[in-house]
Amino acid sequence: MNCEEAINLMDGYMDGELDPITNQEIERHLRDCRACEQAYAAQRALVRTIAGGAVPYYKAPAELRQRIQSSLRDGIADRPARTAVARDSQVLFRRRWPELRTILLGTPWNWLGLAGLGLAAAIIFAAIIFSNLAPMVRRPAADQFLATQLIASHVRSLMANHLTDVASSDQHTVKPWLDAKLDFAPAVVDLASEGFPLLGGRLDYLDNRTVAALVYQRRKHFINVFTWPAESGTTGTTKTMTRQGYQLLHWVDSDINYWAVSDVSEADLQAFKKVFEDRTARH
Amino acid sequence: MLRRRPDANALVLNAVSSRGDGSRNNMAAPLKVDYGFDTEDLESSAKIVKFAIFKKHQEQDAAQEHEVASFEETMLPHMDAAHNLAKWLLRNEEDARDVVQEAYLRAFKSFSGFHGSNGRAWLLTIVRNTSYTLLKKNRAVDLTTTFDEEIHTSGQESVSPATVLEHSENAELIKEAMDELPAEFREILVLRHLEGLSYKEIADIAQLAPGTVMSRLARARAKLKEYLAARIGKDNR
Repeated sequence: MNCEEAINLMDGYMDGELDPITNQEIERHLRDCRACEQAYAAQRALVRTIAGGAVPYYKAPAELRQRIQSSLRDGIADRPARTAVARDSQVLFRRRWPELRTILLGTPWNWLGLAGLGLAAAIIFAAIIFSNLAPMVRRPAADQFLATQLIASHVRSLMANHLTDVASSDQHTVKPWLDAKLDFAPAVVDLASEGFPLLGGRLDYLDNRTVAALVYQRRKHFINVFTWPAESGTTGTTKTMTRQGYQLLHWVDSDINYWAVSDVSEADLQAFKKVFEDRTARH
Repeated sequence: MLRRRPDANALVLNAVSSRGDGSRNNMAAPLKVDYGFDTEDLESSAKIVKFAIFKKHQEQDAAQEHEVASFEETMLPHMDAAHNLAKWLLRNEEDARDVVQEAYLRAFKSFSGFHGSNGRAWLLTIVRNTSYTLLKKNRAVDLTTTFDEEIHTSGQESVSPATVLEHSENAELIKEAMDELPAEFREILVLRHLEGLSYKEIADIAQLAPGTVMSRLARARAKLKEYLAARIGKDNR
């Protein structure tokens, strides 16, 4: 082995990543060649200093560990499994079908006689009616469920010191921030001149999707406005609800759902809706 | 909307009665039971739906909590390694933290696809890719493509072993020189000397052909010596 070969393989030799035969050849060369031996010794000393703690090993700060652990748990809500729930609740009704058949077959045939055909028809008829009615049963439950979710979100936002992700009274700061994180562009207006200053915005999770929450202040009270795209053709719908002392006001404008939740009076909330609509219309 | 349910029951009963009186009493009962809840009580059916949704959420939350726990068990021990690599690559504490956090979230999203045993190498691969994305976005000047020629023209023999040996214990000098190296060289030195990874692991993380790890390490060390020599020259002047 000549010096050039030895120099080329020296790093692998030092790292113990060469095969035994090549190792021996290099060892022999280093014994015989003083220049290469010196170069090797120098390099090894340098590497030992690096590996021996001379250069800093940047350990993760405790703050980062907490941040990651909490973001992993926040991340749960964004995962797709949640959206399967709405579909599964329908299955609750459909799943009954095979059992119907089992009961039919398990019943002695002499009971059925000629009426058997009529019974089958009746069951199918009943099932058709039932499957038509099933969504109607679900609807009120879904609305109630959404209202519960809205209030929970509102309360949580006040409780957990997590009112806003982006705290700014400047709509031109809040809007781009939200736009970048959502698949729709929510309307953001500052209503400070009308007595409802904008505090900021944040992301939330409602009705099986990511939604924008805008936070406004009314004197000492906070108003959370949750917005997300509505089904087309629902524009003009409005709804008011009072639950657990909270006012909920719902309206649909330009195919966007708005749900305002607050502990302010109903009149205040209606006034808020009016100025909000006026201002968004102007924009 | 709620009022309509009694109608439905009436329809069902009418339909059943159309079978004839004889079988009505016998069959009406099982027909009701089949729906799994009392069809006459709307409240209870709404409750059942709500309860089913609630139960489903509970199960999902439990399953996901379990998934998070098993992810944390596998991956949290490597946070120091992840942070160290990110900090060396980005040379900025804030960026390093952001990158490590993003890498963890990315890792969590694809955790179901991770079946390997080397969690550290897997995480470091993600940290490295995330770091480079940020470096490229910031158009960091240290992603030089020209260093190959530089190293070849300014041959490594210009640094005498005696000089290197003389300063091989000057930690401050070495740290400064290492910080100046191009990202590719900082990365490979960190992986080899601070993490003590094998050539095979380094090849996986830095996406190199296994045969080129040694030559890149050699070039990184040569460049480090060159930078050291340059600093020694400056100090002596």
